[in-house]
Amino acid sequence: MAAVRRDILHDDKARADYIRGVKLLKHEPTTLTTDRFGISGRARPVYTYDLFVIWHVLAMNTAVPPGGDAGTRNAAHRGPVFLPWHRVMLRWLEAHLQRVLGDPDFGLPYWDWALDGTPPAPDGVANPAASALWRDTPDGFGGQGSPVRGGAFAFDRADPTSFRVRIATNSSGALRQVTERGLARRFGQNAPFGSPRLPRTSDVRAAYNTRADPSLADYDRPPFDVSSRGFRNRLEGFTGPGLHNQVHLWVGGDMAPASSPNDPVFFVHHCNVDRLWEGWMSRNGRQYQPDMTAPPTLLGHRIDDPLVSPFAPASKPDTPGGVLDISAFYSYDTLP
Amino acid sequence: MQPDIADPTQPAFLATYLAGLPQPDHDHAGPARSVREDDFDGHHVVITTTYEITVDGQPLNVHIGLSNDGSAHCHGLPAYQLPSLVDLVRVLIRTFPDEFSPHPTPGDGHDGDGHDGQHSHDHGDGDGRIHGDETSGGR
Repeated sequence: MAAVRRDILHDDKARADYIRGVKLLKHEPTTLTTDRFGISGRARPVYTYDLFVIWHVLAMNTAVPPGGDAGTRNAAHRGPVFLPWHRVMLRWLEAHLQRVLGDPDFGLPYWDWALDGTPPAPDGVANPAASALWRDTPDGFGGQGSPVRGGAFAFDRADPTSFRVRIATNSSGALRQVTERGLARRFGQNAPFGSPRLPRTSDVRAAYNTRADPSLADYDRPPFDVSSRGFRNRLEGFTGPGLHNQVHLWVGGDMAPASSPNDPVFFVHHCNVDRLWEGWMSRNGRQYQPDMTAPPTLLGHRIDDPLVSPFAPASKPDTPGGVLDISAFYSYDTLP
Repeated sequence: MQPDIADPTQPAFLATYLAGLPQPDHDHAGPARSVREDDFDGHHVVITTTYEITVDGQPLNVHIGLSNDGSAHCHGLPAYQLPSLVDLVRVLIRTFPDEFSPHPTPGDGHDGDGHDGQHSHDHGDGDGRIHGDETSGGR
């Protein structure tokens, strides 16, 4: 049976299971140590959850095509593969959560951040920091701070089982070990350091409004980078109000750098991004650009190019085209 | 018992795959260089920019790129696309304060052997900045 992904603020069991599963993965050794990933310092165990931090950092430092500039497009961001690559990453995390939870039907919950970013009344002011997501109780994610001191992922130096960051990046985006510390969050900073607000429901609706902007009926358009028109770049957040990028910037702290999967909110945020993509496909069809007639300069972003995923070298690699229909694995309780 | 690297459901499978990926090149010593290209009215335009950035007199060896609209980005901050390099450097300073500290933590630049737990800063100041990295670098 395919999993159903549900709203984390409306499904207490999904939220509790997610928190429990993350903690289990955070303490599950992989048998490999940091030196195997080129991380300097004494070799220390790498745990399953932290693999997803490493994967995200390596993918975003991987230029596609090889020899290109990862700052222009990379294997996970700033181009068409942004949505397919993160879909694959989330599916791998979901599979590991299903394993450690002993529940093959567990569905990764999503955080519908636009609801928290929308004022309760037209002339009101949104207060996303007061969202139930950030509760300091064991069934919440805790709020902001350095370290985060409340909720399920609070840091307690005296408690080795409490949540802590082990692997991060430096300013160059290189992996590094950190002396175990807690999560950091800093909500709503002003530009350029962050974003003072989350996206609103009107921002999401505008991303689907193909009358106002006909390019939004296309998944992506040339030049397939951060300047492109089309839905992918609107949702990634380099055009329009920000959407995906804006959520990273609003949360701040560990959600800002390349090692952002360190914060468990990363995955419920990206699950919502994936849901918004699925909602767009329900309107516009399971289409993707560029196709395989695109020039080699777009190698790695074309519909049948292998993604940077563990199945890439296999006979049936993960490709953007191969992950457009995920109904065999999961669905969403509601689509926007 | 040997880890099962053939079973995708086991953590060793993903771990072994990631360990086999090519290591990115983070050696950005020297002036940063950005190349922008454009095709316009049948002409191919290449704009190469080099720039030197220092913070407190120390070179900032970070791979910074400029997009065709002039906005700036870098690997370390994937969700940021900022209107100026000044803003980008300010965000780097705010995000990685330990790298720019005039008083480096004792472990900076070392491999961390024998320093377990010595450099973690539990500031408790709620500033949301990321402190306590064991090994610095990047400058």
